[in-house]
Amino acid sequence: MDHINPQPFEKDLATALSRGREIRVPGFADRVVGAVRLERRRRTVIRWSSVITGAAACVITMLVMWSPSEDSLNRQTVALVAREESNQFTDLLGLADDLSLLTPVVDKKSSIVEVLTAPGS
Amino acid sequence: MSQEDPILSDDEDDKRLMALVAEGDDDALRMIVHRHHARLVGYLRGEVGSQATAEELAMEVFIRLHRAANRWRPDAKLSTYLIHIAHNLVLNEWRRRGRKPTTALEFAAEPGDQTHDSARRVTELDEAFQRAIAQLPTEQRTAILLVVQQELPYEDIAGIMGVPVSSVKTWIHRARSRLRDLLKDFYGPA
Repeated sequence: MDHINPQPFEKDLATALSRGREIRVPGFADRVVGAVRLERRRRTVIRWSSVITGAAACVITMLVMWSPSEDSLNRQTVALVAREESNQFTDLLGLADDLSLLTPVVDKKSSIVEVLTAPGS
Repeated sequence: MSQEDPILSDDEDDKRLMALVAEGDDDALRMIVHRHHARLVGYLRGEVGSQATAEELAMEVFIRLHRAANRWRPDAKLSTYLIHIAHNLVLNEWRRRGRKPTTALEFAAEPGDQTHDSARRVTELDEAFQRAIAQLPTEQRTAILLVVQQELPYEDIAGIMGVPVSSVKTWIHRARSRLRDLLKDFYGPA
């Protein structure tokens, strides 16, 4: 291959590179604006999602904080059980009272028995 | 818009448009993209070698610009800022790929790549240049693209690449030497 004079090297370099200096792409600006609008909508959705998620977290936190504690629930359970036991005990006592009222009647000997068992009979 | 105030330079108009973009003005964004995308895609095409990837990355650059519109301070030209974002994306792309686009195949025209095909007649010498540039080490390729293709000053390139100006000068010198070596069939030994 015939060698070209070294002098035009810089010129050829500049020419070769300058050919690719500007590459105009038809419709590129519209594509960019479309992509930016899409991203803007995506960011809006993300922002609202995070707001809703945060609000939901706050509601759940408040519900948890305002609900009865475990100790309180235990105390209420114990009180309920105690009241239930008390009621049962009272019922038993009441039954006993009824029994005590009935006892004399039950234990009362019949007149025939009394006659037969009376001394001197 | 810029047509209403012909006194404004492109840089001044960019600042005004960026303020509007920060307020959510999509038309202002469209004007910025229309003004800057061709150079950005050209730079990215030179870096990654693929038109589709270059367009994808350029899209990401403008999306990031839109996200940062509120925080953007006009310390540098918007075009330089865009190249800075693009360079970072290129580095990420190479990390993601786990390799660099160093094969000539990646720099060949892609199917459906009518922009490249119809707009330019790629000569044998041009193809040789593209292949040679693709074989350069990363920093040398970026530096030579930014100085020769994008015509940026050394200071801006140093800012974009996050290195001292001396490193940029060294890489550009080495890139030129390496290119001459790779193209010795055309230009003879360096």
